[in-house]
Amino acid sequence: MIRRSLVVASAAAAVVFCGATLSGQSRTPDGQPDIQGFWANQTHRLATYNIEGAADPTHVFLSGNPTDETSLVVDPPDGKVPYQPWAKARRDDVFEHHLNITKWEHVDPHTRCFLSGIPRMFYQGTFQILQPPGYLVILQEFNHGTRIIPLDQRPHIGGDIKLWMGDSRGHWEGNTLVVDVTNKNDKTWFDIVGDFHGDEVHIRERFTVVSADRIDYQATFEDPKVYTRPFTMALSFGRAVKGAEAKSYELLEEACHEGDQDTQEMVHRLTK
Amino acid sequence: MRRFICLLVVAVVSALASSPVSAQVRADNAPAYKGPRTPDGKPDLQGVWQVLNTAAWDIQDHSARLGVPAGQGVVEGNEIPYQPWAVARKKDNFEKRLTADPIAQCYLPGVPRIAYMPHPFQIFQTPGTTVFVYEYDHAVRTIYTDRPHLPGHIDFWLGVSRGRWEGETLVVDAIDFNDKTWFDAAGNFHSDALHVVERYTRTGPDHIAYEVTIEDPRVFTRPWKMNMTLYRRQERNIQLLDYECNALAEEAAGRLK
Repeated sequence: MIRRSLVVASAAAAVVFCGATLSGQSRTPDGQPDIQGFWANQTHRLATYNIEGAADPTHVFLSGNPTDETSLVVDPPDGKVPYQPWAKARRDDVFEHHLNITKWEHVDPHTRCFLSGIPRMFYQGTFQILQPPGYLVILQEFNHGTRIIPLDQRPHIGGDIKLWMGDSRGHWEGNTLVVDVTNKNDKTWFDIVGDFHGDEVHIRERFTVVSADRIDYQATFEDPKVYTRPFTMALSFGRAVKGAEAKSYELLEEACHEGDQDTQEMVHRLTK
Repeated sequence: MRRFICLLVVAVVSALASSPVSAQVRADNAPAYKGPRTPDGKPDLQGVWQVLNTAAWDIQDHSARLGVPAGQGVVEGNEIPYQPWAVARKKDNFEKRLTADPIAQCYLPGVPRIAYMPHPFQIFQTPGTTVFVYEYDHAVRTIYTDRPHLPGHIDFWLGVSRGRWEGETLVVDAIDFNDKTWFDAAGNFHSDALHVVERYTRTGPDHIAYEVTIEDPRVFTRPWKMNMTLYRRQERNIQLLDYECNALAEEAAGRLK
């Protein structure tokens, strides 16, 4: 396994910056396609409610309005997360109870001001991309989430360490940033209705720069403890702030836990 | 005779080594360190840094307490110029510190306390922007060096920071704080009129001199300063991990399965 990773890493390193480039794409001093600035998901308004799309309006759209939004899941083609039976039962239990919780297992980690995880950080508000030398850094306004993605092909950290945002290693293949994520804990969800992964999930992300104002994102999730096969989510990011305004725009501090009153109410409700 | 010479040599060497004059001369005559530059020509502060002191527990001189290492203070002159009413409040905070410390509720530690929490932080620089990402509570501070402060006053746990470069030094001006954070776990406090000026100056490949000026006319009789060193973490595999305080607290309470 280690040897295979090394081979993959070496092959990947060999093609860094060698792929086709977009004409007019500006670059950072260390040669990365420059995608710095403020971005947001622009294809799936309801992703944070249900990554599988508009299965049931009362469950997926809190205002109650019907919607025809499609699933983020592009593989398998039916748009469903390929859960093993036990995992499907767990997800369905949350789906049925997320508006009427009866135990802590029904409570969305976002409600408790825990970090978003991957890929939820990309469909929960605006995020900022910075590209200091040797890194791609992503700052999320919601709950000041951060991801630091080193681009130097260093090995992942030891498997016994689990992190809320995982351990990311990236490299550029032409106009696509390829990121390998391991060491992810199992405490974040994909959405409000309880779609989830386990703590042995292996995530492979691809950020493809389509134009100066669009990034296509794909993430493949492999977790033999939870799914019957790997599956892939896809969405597109657009500039959240453009032009001159982006020069003076900034993310502000979103101190979620510090302002949290919901948890105390839930403690009262679930422990009486 | 041989023994006498030996003693003499030892005495001279000791005198040279411990001479305050020679140390003074060396410090004064040493050329100021000029570190590497970022691609846009600014002093390069990037890397993973951490303090090696006990300021997070108590910024003043203190003996050891259970769970708290003894430490020499980081406050210049060791005295914090509280107004008379504030002396009483600090004493009260100290007595209630185990529960009243905002850290006990997993709140963001404020500025400058976030800098000297016993966790590493990483500095990133792009033109016009310096970002501090802290392992503790995934706190983030973005220091823009290309724009003025925000109009009006909004309370933030970590304030709003603006920077400028003065030679080798990044000078950070931070305002717009709330009055809910402490400077340490010993109850040293401020109001929402807090104004913090930080100076980050590299003094070598692996050290940053970190100087903080605290100004708060509602709590103190005059501005006062803290000084400490930030050390570059040397481990080849160093990287930020996470310390999600509120999640850890919920887990400990049995409310995170």
